[in-house]
Amino acid sequence: MDLFLDFLQNTGWYMLDYRYVLMICIGILFCYLAIAKDYEPLLLLPIGFGVIIGNLPFFKGFGLGIYENNSVLHYLYFGVTTGLYPSIVFLGLGAMTDFSSLLARPKLMMMGAAAQMGIYFTLLSALALGFAPREAGSIAIIGGADGPTSIFLTAKLAPHLIGPIAIAAYSYMALIPLIQPPIMRLLTTKAERRIHMPEEGRQVSRKEQLFFPIVGVLLCCLLAPASIPLLGPFFFGNLMKVSGVVDRLAKTAASSIIDTATIFLGITVGASTQADVFLSTKSVGIFFLGSVAFSLATASGLIAGKIMNLFLKEKINPLLGAAGVSAVPGSAREVHLVGQKSDPTNYLLMDAMACNASGVIGSAICAGILWSFLL
Amino acid sequence: MEGLAAISAHNGWAMAATGATIVIIGLAILASIISQLHKIIGFFEKRGKAGSEKAESRPAPPPSVEPLTADPLSDLAATARYYRSLTSHFGDVFALAQLYQALEAADVPHPHITVRELKASGFLAPTGEGQFSWQNV
Repeated sequence: MDLFLDFLQNTGWYMLDYRYVLMICIGILFCYLAIAKDYEPLLLLPIGFGVIIGNLPFFKGFGLGIYENNSVLHYLYFGVTTGLYPSIVFLGLGAMTDFSSLLARPKLMMMGAAAQMGIYFTLLSALALGFAPREAGSIAIIGGADGPTSIFLTAKLAPHLIGPIAIAAYSYMALIPLIQPPIMRLLTTKAERRIHMPEEGRQVSRKEQLFFPIVGVLLCCLLAPASIPLLGPFFFGNLMKVSGVVDRLAKTAASSIIDTATIFLGITVGASTQADVFLSTKSVGIFFLGSVAFSLATASGLIAGKIMNLFLKEKINPLLGAAGVSAVPGSAREVHLVGQKSDPTNYLLMDAMACNASGVIGSAICAGILWSFLL
Repeated sequence: MEGLAAISAHNGWAMAATGATIVIIGLAILASIISQLHKIIGFFEKRGKAGSEKAESRPAPPPSVEPLTADPLSDLAATARYYRSLTSHFGDVFALAQLYQALEAADVPHPHITVRELKASGFLAPTGEGQFSWQNV
């Protein structure tokens, strides 16, 4: 009987308390949103399940938990803390990205630049709320709307906040259909939303597509060397794609490799959100600032589009500014849908994808800049 | 410490202003380079083509057949043999533009009318994709 009682006391049921139950419910909610609502399932499903397994109580010291040496999860978490998984994800992203829209309309790159202002406004807000500079930098990068970039920078600056920041970043990316459209409608007039972009962009040659990753990596990484771990693999992946001579490698990078990294990234980030770390006032602050970051990034891009139209003879649709955030392809899709609601004949998707691509580059540069400032 | 004092204490204003400036200028420069990339590539391609055109328009080697003295249209077979000798260094298949260049270099009179007659008579036959070859010569 004593043996049976000892066994019961060693079970997870006995060690469960309300905090773990709450976190497990949050994990189940994420899984539900991913499966039933199709909210960024590639990210939310691994994270959601990771939250569940990370909050199952166990005896400390047996090498089971993600923060214990020699545990399997700890070894997998290595890819998060070192920034390895985000680099691999960026390799795959580069191999999947088609820059021809951006190359045909390079002025749309300024939308990606403008949307990154949300990062800096959030940096100021986080500092004002009392967060330490490194924590503020990690929270601010949520405004870049790029999960891997957020995880990469947080792992370097404030690793103890990886869990809440990753959850905040991916949650808001999944909620883009709810966050961005109201801001788009608020900051643009119906006439502006109806502006058609030129139908036929310049035909982009293969040589331009070949030169772009070389020019891009040289310019961006010489400007912000701290962004090399992200932009180096990103442009390399793109070069593999457009070169046409390593199709096998490009396809592998765009499929198996990025999928593997996404699985381990998601599940370990989720598992790192243990109740005693996640359920705190800091996490509430991070979630609040994350929403501020997203909103400000969207607003910055929209306002930049309106300002550009003051100087351009051929007006651009300011909705494209909302696609300057790095959330590919969710924000591009939302921009296209909002444009179509005002004018069903307005096709903004390709131009929005161009802004999205520039947002990826812009957020990675911002991560490099913040890392170099806060080292 | 909180509020504006916290921002100032941690150099927040400078970080935000500098960081925003760097990213905007960086992407503006990248956009400028991209907007000129096709022109730069086109410039180098034109230089390459001009070089190869110069190589192609080198003076034709002296014809292996005596130049025509009579009216070229009076004996199309002889004309075809003469014209073929002027294009022997182009190979069996050549473009009409190359033929005209060779004729111009050899100071052949009325090349267009003669070439039209040679095509009509079958001595100069198309092989596809804008290329021609000599037949029955």
